[in-house]
Amino acid sequence: MPTLKVNHERCTECRMCYIVCRELDINAVYVALEPLHRIEIDATACTYPGCTACLMYCPAEGSIIEAESGRSMVPPPLETWRRRGAHVPV
Amino acid sequence: MEGVIRAADEGSLSDEQLFRLIGRLWALERMFYYVYGGWGQGLELNDFPPSVKYLFARQIYDDSTHEMLYLDAILKKGWAATQRDVFQHPYGRFEMDSALAFYAFSLRNFATYPHTIRIAALNLGPKILELHWMEALGEALPDKELRGVFTSQRVENRSHVNMGRRIVEEHVGRPVDAELCRWACTVVKQDYGRYLQEVSDLVLGRTTSLAPATTTPVTD
Repeated sequence: MPTLKVNHERCTECRMCYIVCRELDINAVYVALEPLHRIEIDATACTYPGCTACLMYCPAEGSIIEAESGRSMVPPPLETWRRRGAHVPV
Repeated sequence: MEGVIRAADEGSLSDEQLFRLIGRLWALERMFYYVYGGWGQGLELNDFPPSVKYLFARQIYDDSTHEMLYLDAILKKGWAATQRDVFQHPYGRFEMDSALAFYAFSLRNFATYPHTIRIAALNLGPKILELHWMEALGEALPDKELRGVFTSQRVENRSHVNMGRRIVEEHVGRPVDAELCRWACTVVKQDYGRYLQEVSDLVLGRTTSLAPATTTPVTD
């Protein structure tokens, strides 16, 4: 299964991902102690690709990526919307 | 907090007691969203230089970080499964009839005072106390993760104290304002002390009588 990670070169630390992840009771996004208070994603708790909510809320292009491929997931590519059952015109 | 720090140092704090401690600290940090919301409403365009507002924004962000750290710790330790559970749990719940509520409302009421006065009150009062007890607790806790939750806040707490000092040195010039700062600082320090006593009592399972709260008639 692919996993997500934060690209700190792009992330603005707005923490929308943290807020939405916590609201959904997934709690995969957390505040790391080292480096000091940086936002990270716990791949073992994250349910991606089942849940893509953080990708939908993230405002900073390229700041969440697929760890394995390095592919930017913000803004979310079309297939993430399709997986969620949204009608996306071809 | 001396009793809690001593118990931590002796390694005698149980998971249950640590949950009580972090749950109550989390409940207070949550209240800062409410306090700072009120304070933010009192900031007007051009009333202070942008640097003052930047520092305040930074402080809001830092206190939000601390709230997140506490919740992360509660969830990671498995003391609660979700944020919703902690909201409803007696240790994380906001109670109206508590020293925590008294302190939060006391701070919120400073929304009607100039920003310089309330920042001086908070950052040169409770924040200095917090800096020191948190440093001592951080060093005393045997659990590495929990120790990190407290010691990692040191930098931000210290910067809040420095902010308070800078605001006072640069923006409090008139003797009447300086006097008001001293008065406000004494008030919130007392209220914070009562909150800390309430937390310590809960953590250690003891009963001590809280000092009577100082009330000030509102004349404005």
